[in-house]
Amino acid sequence: MKIEIADNKGIKVIALSGDIDMHSSPELRKELMFCVQKKVTPLFVDFRGVSYIDSSGIATFVEGLKGMMTYGGKLKFVGIPERIMEIFCFAKLDKVFEIYGTINDACNS
Amino acid sequence: MKESAVITIPSSPKYLSVIRSVTATMADIYGMAERGRDDVKLAVDEACSNVIKYAYRGDTGQKIVVKFFIAKAFEVVIEDNGIKARPESIQGRSLDDVRPGGLGVHFIRRTFDVFAFDQEKKKGNRLRLIRHRREEDEDRDRRQ
Repeated sequence: MKIEIADNKGIKVIALSGDIDMHSSPELRKELMFCVQKKVTPLFVDFRGVSYIDSSGIATFVEGLKGMMTYGGKLKFVGIPERIMEIFCFAKLDKVFEIYGTINDACNS
Repeated sequence: MKESAVITIPSSPKYLSVIRSVTATMADIYGMAERGRDDVKLAVDEACSNVIKYAYRGDTGQKIVVKFFIAKAFEVVIEDNGIKARPESIQGRSLDDVRPGGLGVHFIRRTFDVFAFDQEKKKGNRLRLIRHRREEDEDRDRRQ
């Protein structure tokens, strides 16, 4: 997994690519928890380059969301590939996370 | 004829990508549809992750043996020498209860028709996962 941090008109965007699994999710957790500590909001996560996610990756995002909720932070997901979206839907997390097709859609929400 | 392949990996998360790759290849050889292949890849990854987390409690210096058998069904046997699982206590969290963890077992159970620990194994665990051929796999066969 590769993590790239970008700034989109003042909004922090974490762009992920590759596989998010038990091996790589601690690095992702570190980045998300850093954002929680800094009370970043909104925070966008760009999934367009993600090829795989397992339960440890999902757990990391749930933990990140719960952390952000403590200060009213907004966590928005963009560009989730179809197969990964199916996993989010199965886990009923499509109703928990804010999910948008593009960064522009998320900016305009 | 039953065809088989065996892979042994260290009990370290960095080797899970190897397991996923081999699982996907075996599913392709079996003739599984793309959706099924992705599901078994995730399910076997989750089962091996559980071995690392629960059977070996994060000890990365142990071994996990994964055996694939291809015949009418797609069968995966995962063996370790760690702490014995208590099958009766293995259940995922309710999908309505949103919190970190507890999803892996759901991914395994939705993919495989059989999820059974071999109680004959004296030390460690032997998990047998069997996925019977499904209609979507037959569709793929007909298309080719």
